[in-house]
Amino acid sequence: MLPPKIDTSTDPQVGFRPPGTLDAPGALLPYAGRFGRRQAAHLLRRAGFGGSEADVARLASLGMQGAVDALLHPAAPDADLPSYPDVTSLYDPKKARQTAQLWWLDRMLRTNRPLDEKMTLFWHGHFATSIQKVAPPQMVAQVNLFRQFGLGRFPALLSAVTRDPAMLIWLDNRANAKAHPNENYAREVMELFALGLGAYTEDDVKEAARAFTGWTIDKNQQAVFVPARHDDGIKTVLGKSGRLDADDVVAIVVSQPVHQRFLAHKLLEFFVYSDPEPELIEALAQVYALGGFDVAKAVGTILRSDVFFSPRAYRAIPKSPIELALGTLRYIGAQTVPPNLPYQLARMGQEPLNPPSVKGWDGGPTWINTSTLLARFNFVNALVAQTAPAKNGQAAIPAPNVAPDEIVRRVGMDPDKIAQTIVGGVVQDDVTSDVRSTLVAYLNSQTPSAMAQNPLPFGPENYQDKIRGALALTLNLPVNQLD
Amino acid sequence: MKRQHFVTSALSVAFLGGNGARALAQVAAGSPLLPGFASGVDPDNVLVVVQMGGGNDGLNTVVPWSDDAYHRVRPAIGIAENAVLKLNDRIGFNPALKGLNELYKQGRVALVQGVGYPNPNRSHFEATQIWETASPDRPQQYGWLGRYLDRRFSAAKPASTFEAVSLGDSLPAALVASHVEVPAIGALNAFAYNTGRDLASKQSAGVLYDGAKAGQSPYLAMIAQTARDAYHGGDVLRKQTAEFTNKATYAPNGFAQQLALAAKLIGSTAGSKIVFVSLGSFDTHAGQRAQQDRLLGYLGDGLLAFYADLAAHGLDKKVLTMTFSEFGRRVAQNASNGTDHGTAMPLFIAGGGVKGGIYGEHPSLTDLDRGGDLKFSTDFRAVYATVIEKWLGRNPAEVLTGAYPTLAFV
Repeated sequence: MLPPKIDTSTDPQVGFRPPGTLDAPGALLPYAGRFGRRQAAHLLRRAGFGGSEADVARLASLGMQGAVDALLHPAAPDADLPSYPDVTSLYDPKKARQTAQLWWLDRMLRTNRPLDEKMTLFWHGHFATSIQKVAPPQMVAQVNLFRQFGLGRFPALLSAVTRDPAMLIWLDNRANAKAHPNENYAREVMELFALGLGAYTEDDVKEAARAFTGWTIDKNQQAVFVPARHDDGIKTVLGKSGRLDADDVVAIVVSQPVHQRFLAHKLLEFFVYSDPEPELIEALAQVYALGGFDVAKAVGTILRSDVFFSPRAYRAIPKSPIELALGTLRYIGAQTVPPNLPYQLARMGQEPLNPPSVKGWDGGPTWINTSTLLARFNFVNALVAQTAPAKNGQAAIPAPNVAPDEIVRRVGMDPDKIAQTIVGGVVQDDVTSDVRSTLVAYLNSQTPSAMAQNPLPFGPENYQDKIRGALALTLNLPVNQLD
Repeated sequence: MKRQHFVTSALSVAFLGGNGARALAQVAAGSPLLPGFASGVDPDNVLVVVQMGGGNDGLNTVVPWSDDAYHRVRPAIGIAENAVLKLNDRIGFNPALKGLNELYKQGRVALVQGVGYPNPNRSHFEATQIWETASPDRPQQYGWLGRYLDRRFSAAKPASTFEAVSLGDSLPAALVASHVEVPAIGALNAFAYNTGRDLASKQSAGVLYDGAKAGQSPYLAMIAQTARDAYHGGDVLRKQTAEFTNKATYAPNGFAQQLALAAKLIGSTAGSKIVFVSLGSFDTHAGQRAQQDRLLGYLGDGLLAFYADLAAHGLDKKVLTMTFSEFGRRVAQNASNGTDHGTAMPLFIAGGGVKGGIYGEHPSLTDLDRGGDLKFSTDFRAVYATVIEKWLGRNPAEVLTGAYPTLAFV
């Protein structure tokens, strides 16, 4: 007998689907509208981690098709970034966990293939594995696997994940053998990785678990297939029978129409907007199935689509903490990741390599609460605005990551033009006029307790601190929490 | 029509507060249609949960001092009979728990023995998830306290931003809720929009958030409101907690300081009703005695100060504190004078409203499970069910999957 279920019927249902109506027939057709700075910035936020004003301008100059091509099929080879064992010279090797996290965050910051890295993050949330149970080298290898297979065919990805040492450890398939089956991995393949609740039976889980037997890890933590542990009997999974093995189950699962909708839904939530319409899901599911389960084709269709560039999708998703932090670092042109970033991200609610459970991060509205927003705001304030206070007779050290002189060189010492430049660069002018006037008022303010010893109007003595402060205020606007 | 009527009365319960709320809650509880407070339960009751992170060794917490098997398997780390703070002719507290023993002698501590669950997990991460989500079989999205909050506040938001708080840098799985927000407050000073010396920037941020306008995205209004709550919340919190003066001396360790802050949150107009505090480093694989004794000292002395403080404010009967740890430890000591990950362990329930005493049986050191570990006798979800039903006044079935007998400590 099943235990009684928890009654959630009185819980409020909060919807975050954007207002307006979907143009279903045209939704996935190529976008034919203007492709300027706002559209390029939108594309770079969703298909990457944002960028500097120059990055956005470069992408805008390629046109929509050229920009999506450049992201999907980058011509340049992967930037020469340190691999995990080498990165230990940059960060404290004694702190293996933080080192692995910083290694990945450094790639997100400096990669010249941002979509590859974005998809890697997508799959990390999808196949959510945690460093709480898996050692850093295996976690790093799994991230590399996601990068290698992330834009290929999904069956190849799922097949590789099935043989991934980190996953074999994380969901206990290492212990799954004919004599003592372990259903953990088979269950999550059905529920979380490929189909979703309600699309399979308990028997399907049991039978699939039998097919996954034999895959385990050896003493060097390498994946290995041990025939003696494998159950080679007849199994029936989702109506298909035979001497099924791991890849047979992968093929059966992927061929289910419910899988195609499941993955289409997840991609749309990640790239377009929350709670996408069933018609939109169905349309993308068909693209995905007709494209031979090729993730790049599905993602490419999304990124070129009319619905992706529609007002309903524009700034329609809360940035994840990683998107917020990396977007900030890339915008200000930081060349290195702050060593305490993993800790800061944990406070914001998304510590990389440490998802809260195998379900990954809930995302959407759950990114935003008072504690996590304060963590975002104070991260930006410390990174962009604050100067380290003078102590022990040493002068104050200005925040090193921003170049106020560059803004002054472009528009002069004019608070109106400076405010305009900042809101144009940071949020593509997605603000009302009172935001601009508040920033101008801040630049002109002579609050006695502000940084300057003697309060002064905006000028040579204080312009650096003031421009940094205005940048932080703009980065901390509610609209900049949205992708 | 009928349903509309009941929803309305649930809302008025949430808004009234005080005696009116209690009377209405009792009326509402009479209706089988409306899950509400059980009669006789004070809606102002407060629950403090203490996480003893790392897996606390139960056998050196509540010592079976008269059992030869105990001294046999723990020749180096066992606690000598004459040092134990004896509760009866079989068991006694670790001497480091002298503060807790004081509370126990006042009848304000219930000891629940042999707490666990079937097929125990020995991974810190997974066992912690199991305890905090009350779900040994499947990972759950929301914590047990999160689910309680979601049901309790299904009709109206809590009156206070600080209805439920976690005192730490991040939110524990227990408090992850679907639509009730639980702030994580590492320290009063950290829960603030921080611009250093640039006060003009801080003022301008307030202007920007107060004037933020909704837009096309349904998220924007929510983010702007949360930004206002976050921006002003720190100041509100500092103002509210300043009304309350701690009337006990807390030790300078982090745990005692968390309890001092908890007393402020509970006793001031912040009005917290669920507070999660944590005390870590119980993972005593080596050199256990010094480390565990130090931590148990923090626990017992901290709780003694906490209840002295609450009593001085007339609040000790309103606040129930329960401890938990993700697992106990193995029966025998290891080669490093420590203990490895095990199973069942004792929990403490403290408070002026608690029926002090010993609940459940001390696990046998010789009748062990298949893995050679202690057998549990009380499912941890029975402890949760007791707290939910008898202290928080709600039907445990709203929060827990399955039915569990309640215990008599409340």
